[in-house]
Amino acid sequence: MDKGLLAYLIIPLFAAVVIPFAARNRPRLADVLANVTLLAGLANLAWLALRPSMIAGGFADIPGDAFSLLLVGTVYLVAFCVTFFSAWFIEEGLPNRAAYYSLIMVSVAAMTGVVTTSDFFTLYVFVEVLAVTSFALITTDDSAGGIEGALKYFFLTFPASALIIVGLAILMMTLGSLSYENLRIFMSSDIPAGPVTFAAALMLLGFVIKSGVVPFHAWTPDAYQGAYAPVSAHLAGIVTKISGVYAIVKIATLLRFFDGRAVALSEMLMFLGLLSIVVGALAALKQTSFKRMLAFSSISQVGYIVLAAGLGTPLAIMGAVFHLFNHATFKTVLFLNSASLEKAAGTTDMDKLGGMEHPMPWTSWTSVIALLSTAGVPPLSGFWSKLLIILALWESGLRTYAVVALLFSIVTLAYFMIMQRKVFFGRKSSAAQSAAEVSAPLLAPAVLMSAIIVAVGLLFPYFYTYVRVVAERIIL
Amino acid sequence: MNSFAMEWYLIALIMFTGFYCMLVSRSIVRQLVGLEIVSKAAMLALISAGALANNLIYAQALLITMIVIEVVVVAAGLALLVKNFRLHGAADIWKLDSLKG
Amino acid sequence: MNDYRLILFLLAALFSVWAVMARRLLTSAIMLALVSVAVALIFFDYGAPWAGVFELSVCAGLITVLFIGAVSLIREADEQNPENRTRFHALPLVLAAFAIASWFYLPAFFAELASWARPGNGGGTIGLALWDMRRPDLLGQILMLAAGVFVIKSVFPRRNEK
Repeated sequence: MDKGLLAYLIIPLFAAVVIPFAARNRPRLADVLANVTLLAGLANLAWLALRPSMIAGGFADIPGDAFSLLLVGTVYLVAFCVTFFSAWFIEEGLPNRAAYYSLIMVSVAAMTGVVTTSDFFTLYVFVEVLAVTSFALITTDDSAGGIEGALKYFFLTFPASALIIVGLAILMMTLGSLSYENLRIFMSSDIPAGPVTFAAALMLLGFVIKSGVVPFHAWTPDAYQGAYAPVSAHLAGIVTKISGVYAIVKIATLLRFFDGRAVALSEMLMFLGLLSIVVGALAALKQTSFKRMLAFSSISQVGYIVLAAGLGTPLAIMGAVFHLFNHATFKTVLFLNSASLEKAAGTTDMDKLGGMEHPMPWTSWTSVIALLSTAGVPPLSGFWSKLLIILALWESGLRTYAVVALLFSIVTLAYFMIMQRKVFFGRKSSAAQSAAEVSAPLLAPAVLMSAIIVAVGLLFPYFYTYVRVVAERIIL
Repeated sequence: MNSFAMEWYLIALIMFTGFYCMLVSRSIVRQLVGLEIVSKAAMLALISAGALANNLIYAQALLITMIVIEVVVVAAGLALLVKNFRLHGAADIWKLDSLKG
Repeated sequence: MNDYRLILFLLAALFSVWAVMARRLLTSAIMLALVSVAVALIFFDYGAPWAGVFELSVCAGLITVLFIGAVSLIREADEQNPENRTRFHALPLVLAAFAIASWFYLPAFFAELASWARPGNGGGTIGLALWDMRRPDLLGQILMLAAGVFVIKSVFPRRNEK
């Protein structure tokens, strides 16, 4: 466990316990407490990583594993956007308001635990905590879709956990302990890696199910579509990425895919990643619900990360880490905008919407920024991460993979253009006649995230230095 | 054949039973039963591996944490079940088809 | 493997098959408790008393109570539209087929796996192991319990707040 970052776990936990007591008589206090906690954490992290001397020194003084710090920052950023949005989104009479914020705080604490730990069993424990909080969050508004999504999530992620446990048992037997360091040392020695790769395969299978990569994606669209609107942003933006994709990237670096150990596993992961990209993008093309299309797009983008993690060269890991961060930014914007649409127009069905640009210009243009970033259009942040991934594929001689990845990046642009034309541009529909732009506080998180997308894209050299530090530290 | 292989063979059978139950059943309660059986098998695998590697204390420490997790997971699952039953009066997974695609 | 432990494993397998095949949900819940008891006895037999005690009190006790509570709530709805039973009756057949087919591969595979085991030191006490080696897990347990409390609070809100 990274001691320096422990406070980022304990303080949200403390806030989660305090919120129900503090908010007993004044429900609004719950919103304030949650937002203040997360904002304070963000300010702290920004000071830790972005102070001028740190940037000038090329981020060489970043404490610990720079990957954890980046992800803790992402977790706090997305969670802050979600709680800020929720504070104005939640209906006044919602009876479980305090519990809702407590659950978000616990999930933030759990995600911090996941990314700061250095032991596989502890990782498993925090992933389970994260899963348990997700079900309750998904069903916040008592809708039928929410419960269905939660149940499907439930019955796919816990069998996956059992697979992970069997993998852990074999790992414990052959390594004597479960720390990352032991696995790293073992993999860099010359001992044949047979049983360890088998254990890693079981664990990877479990985490692949948890992250919703293609053959196991049944739960993803349902959970995202059915979830309470701000929660779907939380879920798609960060929760499933931390509970599944993070572990895949971590295991990929620990197994040292780049020096050719465990080639079969590496190839399998890359294949699943590519399949995810293709199936997710093709399925997104024919969706009529905005949220469901975003969910399939999410599957497709996770495919890029898994593909890069499976390749495992330093450049690919850099791309994977960067894409993980970018995915959190643009998916949060898009899901929060879908929540705004739902509030303003009462539906997210794309056939019923149209011409929403006129009443809702801010929502429309932040969506454009986010979707261009998703599709990888320069100079937005998504372009750079996709460029890194495709370059890494090309360099390793996997020309076909690189071409397919590039091609489906264009398909991404296509389905988002269809979406944008149906929802925001074009002739004014009846929904657009009556709708009005949502209030400024509801727009603020989307605008903030769009600003980050543009800023990271434009200030890429600084960010590239940081990501390179991450890749160097977690691979060496 | 050594005893470890025999134990893991039986564990594999138990786990298969649990997965089969989760696969064929439509009732949420039965799916939970299957899930419990699968996780029991995983626990047995852990303790058996610990005993083989003479690492029983370590395995026990992991098991205690696992048991705590399992209780909360089952409680959450049952809470979802009861909520679903109260709102929609059904305990059948496939009757929930408000989401399509 | 001594005979006593073999019998316990077979009992656990038998009870789990029974739990899956039982027509009434209540029987299923009770069979699940018996699986837990068998598993707890296996833990004792391995010399892992702490895990055994936890398994007995928590899994065989608390979880069974929760299960029976939930089952009694939904029993009527379940009996009104029963499931198609044929696939459950096929379980012994399918399981037997799986058992025979895997008999030729799995034990050999597991025996090879066992030859890779690296003996640990095995010393210390359970309390020290939890505190010295698994301290982050304790934090995880606290977080898990907090999550459980908030899940229940969120799923069953106080009605008078509405």
